[in-house]
Amino acid sequence: MDAVIVGCGRVGSTLAQQLLATGHRVCVVDRKADSFRRLGDNYTGKTVVGVGFDREVLEAAGVTETTAVAAVTSGDNSNILIARVAREQFGAQRVVARIYDPQRAAVYGRLGISTVASVAWTVGRIKGDLFPDAGHSLWSDPSETIDIHELRTPAAIAGTSIAEFEKQHQVRVVSLSRNGATTLADGSLLLQQDDNIHLAIVRGTLLNLDAVGKGH
Amino acid sequence: MLVLIAGGGSVGRHMASRLAASGHQIRIIDNDLKVVETRSKQAVFGVTWVFGDACDVGVLDSAGAREADVFTSVTGDDEDNLVVSLLAKQEFGVPRVIARVNNPRNEWLFTEMWGVDIAVSTPQLLTSLVEEAVSVGALVRLLSLERGRANLVEVTLTTDSPAVGTRISESHLPREAAVVAVIRAGHVIVPSPDLVLLDGDETIVLLTGSTEDEDALRIALVGEEH
Amino acid sequence: MGLLNRIRSNTTPQQLADQEPEATPISDVVARSQVTVRGTITRIKAIPKSGMPSLAVTIDDGTATATAIWSGRRAIGGVTLGRRLDVTGTAVSSARGFEFYNPLYTLRE
Repeated sequence: MDAVIVGCGRVGSTLAQQLLATGHRVCVVDRKADSFRRLGDNYTGKTVVGVGFDREVLEAAGVTETTAVAAVTSGDNSNILIARVAREQFGAQRVVARIYDPQRAAVYGRLGISTVASVAWTVGRIKGDLFPDAGHSLWSDPSETIDIHELRTPAAIAGTSIAEFEKQHQVRVVSLSRNGATTLADGSLLLQQDDNIHLAIVRGTLLNLDAVGKGH
Repeated sequence: MLVLIAGGGSVGRHMASRLAASGHQIRIIDNDLKVVETRSKQAVFGVTWVFGDACDVGVLDSAGAREADVFTSVTGDDEDNLVVSLLAKQEFGVPRVIARVNNPRNEWLFTEMWGVDIAVSTPQLLTSLVEEAVSVGALVRLLSLERGRANLVEVTLTTDSPAVGTRISESHLPREAAVVAVIRAGHVIVPSPDLVLLDGDETIVLLTGSTEDEDALRIALVGEEH
Repeated sequence: MGLLNRIRSNTTPQQLADQEPEATPISDVVARSQVTVRGTITRIKAIPKSGMPSLAVTIDDGTATATAIWSGRRAIGGVTLGRRLDVTGTAVSSARGFEFYNPLYTLRE
């Protein structure tokens, strides 16, 4: 399975439809079967009824190491349970949990789990985190020369200074978010795994960024 | 000792009054304002009520989690109990974290991965007690301690047991097993290494180590057949 | 104000890079206090706990050693032997010295 979405509320169902539309194989999990009506009549993905942190349920949904998992139920605690079980039991590398409470998001960030803390941003951010290679630009200048991308720092480049990273990949790092705090990027700062960075790149160098994002 | 309890339901309140009666200082955290207000008025000596969400680090901090000797999370919600346990261990280093398992399906999650030192599952406990009552000549796990590194087990000896008629010191117990009590004809005996085990003895054994040690203990006390 | 707010308002990544905030010598750490310690990584061990992976990273600052334990992780990028590392969290005393569970960390040059 390409993507397993746990929680079929507004966010989960919208995410499922969008991912399905872009050609991904999708499975949606929810405690209640009647939640699946939100997916609409045209939904062609899979559905599984059950509790998302139940090992058997995630197995039935088809979670493997390569599956992208979104935990988007209405409960913060459920989401964090689901995210940890998917990552620790199934080895899923791309796991995102939606958390309403920003304090909690910071605590769980330390467990290495990517969290999305704002409802308004949820759909866009999860899409970006799950499929960073989709080449989706957050902003482009009017001449369409420079794009701003968001990147979650992969393990392979952790320990590299921002200045070095900029030189290697011909990019400018604009800002860096770590543990819930965001600052303007400083060249001497060392990148850490799971940092969220915003970077500006010349459109032609997009392939370079893809290699970084896909690598790990 | 300072004991924090998350969840002011019947389990939490019962624990609080029993522990307070033994001289411990108790604080109960509950997120239902009405419950907290009502219970605070019916003052029980040694028990303080704290209003707030126990999943909130700030609430735990102001409730005194940093000084707590024991933290127990006994809400009716397994997700809450796991998250609260994790916070108690990770953010406040509470030495002993005890959590209630509501649904036995979730019991596998209640480990040190979530900061839980001891998981108490009412259905599991009942099952063990029933097993203990009905099983003779089998190894029954009574209690898991130190995050599963030690288990208290019970074996009622039958004539099939290789240990019957031998001294404890000569009964081929694995090194990681210690007989801590023998119940014989309704009397509890604190065993010496020279105690000769008899048919019908209920032996309570503290077992550390791996499943191989458990197998070795089973062979020593129950016999090969089982 | 909550504990996390205090942590966050005190330590932005920028500040961590610029100022190398004060670290407490490990030998001066008080059990169950919230502290930052800084040392060189001397040992990295993947330890199975309850059948799940955990990562134990020991740092030495010359006064003593302390161990950071991240549950559910087999490796953290950039956390390698010989690297200097800041660890921020609640110090828990154990038989092996102070341990930090799922602490904040900052890589140092």
